[in-house]
Amino acid sequence: MKAISIFKEILLFAILVLLQVLLFNRISVFGWATPILYIFFLIKLPYGRNRFYVIISGFLLGLIIDIFLNTPGMNAAATTIVATLRGVILNLFYPKNEYENLVPGIHVSVAAFIKFVVTMVLFHQVLLFFIEAFSFFNLTSTLIRIGTSSLLTIVLILALDSLLFRKEKISN
Amino acid sequence: MKNLLNFIIRNSHWLVAIVLIVISFYLVFSHNSYQRSVYLTSANSVTGWFYETSGKATSFLHLSSNNKLLLERNAQLEEELYALKSYLANNRADTLALSAFVNDSIPVSQFSFIPAEVINISFAGPHNFMTINKGADHGVKPDMGVVSQSGVVGVVLNVSRKFSVIIPIINPKFRLSARLKNSDNTGSVSWDGKDINIAQIGELPKHEVFQTGDTVVTSFSRIFPKDIAIGYVTEQTLSKDDNFNTLNMRMATDFYSVRDILVIDDEYYEEQKKLEETAGGI
Repeated sequence: MKAISIFKEILLFAILVLLQVLLFNRISVFGWATPILYIFFLIKLPYGRNRFYVIISGFLLGLIIDIFLNTPGMNAAATTIVATLRGVILNLFYPKNEYENLVPGIHVSVAAFIKFVVTMVLFHQVLLFFIEAFSFFNLTSTLIRIGTSSLLTIVLILALDSLLFRKEKISN
Repeated sequence: MKNLLNFIIRNSHWLVAIVLIVISFYLVFSHNSYQRSVYLTSANSVTGWFYETSGKATSFLHLSSNNKLLLERNAQLEEELYALKSYLANNRADTLALSAFVNDSIPVSQFSFIPAEVINISFAGPHNFMTINKGADHGVKPDMGVVSQSGVVGVVLNVSRKFSVIIPIINPKFRLSARLKNSDNTGSVSWDGKDINIAQIGELPKHEVFQTGDTVVTSFSRIFPKDIAIGYVTEQTLSKDDNFNTLNMRMATDFYSVRDILVIDDEYYEEQKKLEETAGGI
């Protein structure tokens, strides 16, 4: 059971990396909004997954994206921080000790999932854009970028989740 | 002691997280655009392969527009050729002894061009880079200039065997000395990170006269030949320093659609660099 789940996660990881570098990173709506969708991987990990697994996979995810986009460390730093605090954020929206294999999804509980996604995406984008802005600071344009990119990312994640993950998958 | 050990074991994931975050920030801050490892950029062979494959697929979509561009360029060159031919024919008729002065060997050109194709470009954030499908095997070296058909694109930053990463004008780290075509005062071209079509030329003297539409061209540069178009002045903008003017310009290269580029190989680059370095040692 767990092996299948981990295999699916690796597949999701690879697909998200490819989508991000080959497609989403070339999108720039009005020159502002770029969907940063790879964070979806951290959202879809099961509730009770080992913390080391979450943190290290988050770091690897960010690092691979960095290598493709020539932005050494930026995505890795932001994604590792989000992965580290993922447990805390999860506990805010999902009741504790429900069951280990719960995968957050839109079919489990719409309100909780939306809140969870919005928090994760906003947190990740704020970190990402401010790490980037260390060397290049422009507050208004950074805030507009964060706002529009987050909105686009959240809409895409919710759409992707309701399309890809059907109800029956929730039961396992 | 036991409590301490328990504490460490219970919180060891924080330790791992902190180590990884420190590594990431080390990468962020040690990132120096001139001394980076090729392995951590899109010039390494794995990422290069992905980009090239997807580039091959998408290049089909641009075939017709590229074809049109090439035809236009061809027509322009043919026109020039015709003008030169007729000029030459006229001169021949005038001077009978012209052939006596013709050299028997063609002079070597200082610049040669390596054609390449852009296989990846990012413009999501301010830190933009391009990857092209030619590398050290094809004679590309770091610090070579890169131009498109319409004007300056950027400078080669990193080279692997088959790919190179280019730092384009639309990266805040990019600097290039430039001048307005009808003047001799040089300024410096940079990009403020706001608009992918608009770059800035700064450090121009206050008395410099300009008109919108003036062409901005390269001036003294080890990397680019003289008088290559960079952009066209659109308006004056806020300057950091009261003694100088800063102008906005629309870049000659359209970074949204740039695909075919030329890498400039300067025959005398090494010689000039070596000579200037010995001068710096004094």
